[in-house]
Amino acid sequence: MIVEELVLPVLMVFFMLAAGAYTVAVLDRVIAGALGTPQTGSVWIAPLARGAWLMTQHANATEAPDWRAWRLAPALYLSLAAIGLAVVPWSGSLVATDLVTSVVLWGSVEALATVVIFLHGWSANALFALIGGYRYVALGLSYILISMFVLIGVALPAESLQFTQVVASQEELWNVIRQPLGLPLFLIVGLGMTFWGPLNLADSADLAGGTAAEISGPPRLVWDVARAAMLVAFSGVATSAFLGGWLGPWLPGPLWVAIKMLAVLLVLLLLGRLLPRLAPERCVTLMWVILLPLSFIDLVWAGVGALL
Amino acid sequence: MFPVLGVQGDKALRHLTLSPDIELVDSPRHASVLLVAGEIPADRFEPLRRVHDQLPYPFTTLWFRCEPWPHLENVTRIDDLDVLPAALVTAYHELMEGRRESSPRILLDKPPNPWEGAGDFGQGGEGMMGGVPYGRPMAMNMEDDIRDGLTLDSLTFRLGPFFFAFPPGMAAEITLQGDLVQTWKTQRAPYPQSLDPVFFAARKRLVPIAALELARARHHLYRLFHALHLAGLESASLSALRLANNLSTTSTLDGLRRYLSRSGFFRLAAIKGGELGPEQARRIGGPAARAAGLDEDLRSDDAGYRRLGFSPVCQASGDTRARWRQVLAEIDQSLQLARQAERDDVSTSEVDRIETPRGPWLEKRPEDASALLDEILPGQEWGDALATIASLDVAAVAEAPLDTQTTGESPITELSDDEGGPA
Amino acid sequence: MIESMSHGIGVDIAFLLLATLAVVTAWRVFRTDSMVRASFFLLVSFIAVGVIMILLAAEYLGVAMFFMMAVEMTVMALFMVMFMMNPAGLNPMNMVHQERISIGAGVVSFLVLSAMALLAVFPDRPVSAGLDPVRSLGNEMLGDSMLIFESAGLVLLTTMIGVVVLSSHRGRYGAATEGSLPPGLESGGDPAGKPEEDEDGEDGGHHHHHH
Repeated sequence: MIVEELVLPVLMVFFMLAAGAYTVAVLDRVIAGALGTPQTGSVWIAPLARGAWLMTQHANATEAPDWRAWRLAPALYLSLAAIGLAVVPWSGSLVATDLVTSVVLWGSVEALATVVIFLHGWSANALFALIGGYRYVALGLSYILISMFVLIGVALPAESLQFTQVVASQEELWNVIRQPLGLPLFLIVGLGMTFWGPLNLADSADLAGGTAAEISGPPRLVWDVARAAMLVAFSGVATSAFLGGWLGPWLPGPLWVAIKMLAVLLVLLLLGRLLPRLAPERCVTLMWVILLPLSFIDLVWAGVGALL
Repeated sequence: MFPVLGVQGDKALRHLTLSPDIELVDSPRHASVLLVAGEIPADRFEPLRRVHDQLPYPFTTLWFRCEPWPHLENVTRIDDLDVLPAALVTAYHELMEGRRESSPRILLDKPPNPWEGAGDFGQGGEGMMGGVPYGRPMAMNMEDDIRDGLTLDSLTFRLGPFFFAFPPGMAAEITLQGDLVQTWKTQRAPYPQSLDPVFFAARKRLVPIAALELARARHHLYRLFHALHLAGLESASLSALRLANNLSTTSTLDGLRRYLSRSGFFRLAAIKGGELGPEQARRIGGPAARAAGLDEDLRSDDAGYRRLGFSPVCQASGDTRARWRQVLAEIDQSLQLARQAERDDVSTSEVDRIETPRGPWLEKRPEDASALLDEILPGQEWGDALATIASLDVAAVAEAPLDTQTTGESPITELSDDEGGPA
Repeated sequence: MIESMSHGIGVDIAFLLLATLAVVTAWRVFRTDSMVRASFFLLVSFIAVGVIMILLAAEYLGVAMFFMMAVEMTVMALFMVMFMMNPAGLNPMNMVHQERISIGAGVVSFLVLSAMALLAVFPDRPVSAGLDPVRSLGNEMLGDSMLIFESAGLVLLTTMIGVVVLSSHRGRYGAATEGSLPPGLESGGDPAGKPEEDEDGEDGGHHHHHH
């Protein structure tokens, strides 16, 4: 019983973390190469070589940082990504943890991520890291609100806060069609929450790496892996909430989940490479003035749909 | 596979950007190899030492066209640009395989100021706070916010001269509130930049307009490359660089321009603000002045250019966005002029009045205008402020043309260790 | 609640560990010297309590605790750091004040709560195994008023956003400190609804020096 309830799910989550982060690294490299970044070596080996390089490098020190928080933050972010991956159902029965409130749990992962990212930037006791952390907090609240409204929208037709039920409720019609605003909103928010590409305002280039500007060696490796894993968790949640999770003809359910997650990842990574980084101010306006009202509309849409 | 580190001697930087084995990073904390490219003036040794000591172990340095400091052991000096990437890769591999010792730290690892806390919690003074831990005064003296009235703790720090987003060599003392620039004081002017030799030739004799215009377009494309990297458009910045390197009269800007407008560079990216008044625009000159609506271009006075039907293009608003539109328009115009001039074999007709890409060159070369930043940047958000700096070509023009020069240039590395806030 | 059903020793161990964590981190809140650390120690304490609630089968309340406390503590830490004159909350400061009263209040509440835990008689009403705790919680707390409550929540949120917008210097007609003028009733006419006095009155004694 312990094997079934504890060991297997944990192994599953570890596998998803490793495979997911590796997939993101490879995909991103392939996309960058296709868009003209000069590269040598095999795309399959390069992420591993990078990992080895970071493992060789020493973790550096800044002047009087908050050591505990600084070293813990990447690990905490990784564990949040792991919690996120744990609620993604691969089939009706294959899910690491099938909590009845898994949608709310994902919501708290988003909220706690804000804490961890702020902590990561703050604890380095360095200028750019701190600004990056502040920026994320200022924006994070709007991300959380939008994603919560959108997720409540998918919980309504399912009449449940459980991802397996949310997927099961899409048997007839996927949420991406039933609530057309949901997936685009969720993906934009996803780029924000994982501070990736155009919404990478926490670890951005104008801050020389932002919250990660001062880290090197193993902590940096953990932070990079955690960011990639968070992106995978996000695509997993998007798949379950909007793309019908394991539902699909011919192929076995888990394979469908993998295919859909890959597709979502591909879209996110492409957007990340093709768009310029948004100005923080414009991002705030976009979130509060455009996307938040749209998420209200999505919610009302979902509510009316559930009543009819 | 990736030794790292920003460079200047812009040429080396651009060369390395296109080398597949090299990954350039913006923070010394992310690097394993420190490349010092070009001579460093003695007054920038201190910041360089600090940058040097910020690299995580194990690391090594490589000096490109620059004499290594004598007290550093086992350092490599490279003078040939073509062997530089290979030398970097070798140094990196030796380092990783343990065949090369890591460079030692140069400075002592101690806080720049002693701890001065007092009281049970080290809070200093009476009550909940006070004192100056590590020489940082408590920021009690809040300045009123210049944006929205939300008065935050302000943060004063010094940045440069090796910060990647600044013109090489520039250093500034900045006060931020949130990420809004409250005050800006340029402390060190950027190194004079070296222009293409053809502009110097044009001061001595009449030169073909085609060569002059291609050099001008290339200069602007290089600047675009830096700005796009800053804006997070890596692939566009690389295509600007490739375009510049392979520039000929058959090149067109259409592809890049289309990509920029489609990706939303003009609408989404942090390029708001940075308006120049007419007086400020005149001080800086060149494309920046024309972007502010000043119809001034020495090429209009040149008979050769008049034969080609030249008339200056202008923008009205004079902000960062207008400057980039202006730069794109001028690159287009230069390519156009170069094509016509090559076909008709037109040469310049003036030697005393040259319009360089940096601005007009009458009696004197265009001079440093970095003090202008002190006026423009306050009130801008950090991202917009850096984009404004990237869009303004403030560095003076050096005495000597590109390649033959011996002074100036340094690593474009990164943040001088932030020493908190002597306000 | 359901804990009267069989539970393994694992639950007991988890409870003890989490309770210890909650108490220790709560104690650290008062022993640390930085506002940010204090906030996040408090957050850890709350999370430990949240997990205990999940162990008690109050799944929704436990998980809701996570995200509510996460946002709350972030905002708290951030605002303290932004406004309270301590470079980023990393310089040490004295985190305790009014010790006597706090000690008194602490002792009294500890005694009252312990007395309740020891002396009160708790009802023993096992619920059916098929009970859906989330659904029954929602019905128990809100019942038929769900729609009203949800609408009120949305209205409150809108109000908050509105207040922020209104209190910002950058008003609808330009900066608030510059004496903003609404447009005229007819085109080119005098500003609508503007009193006769000069515009300086609107400054409200706020002196801004622009550099």
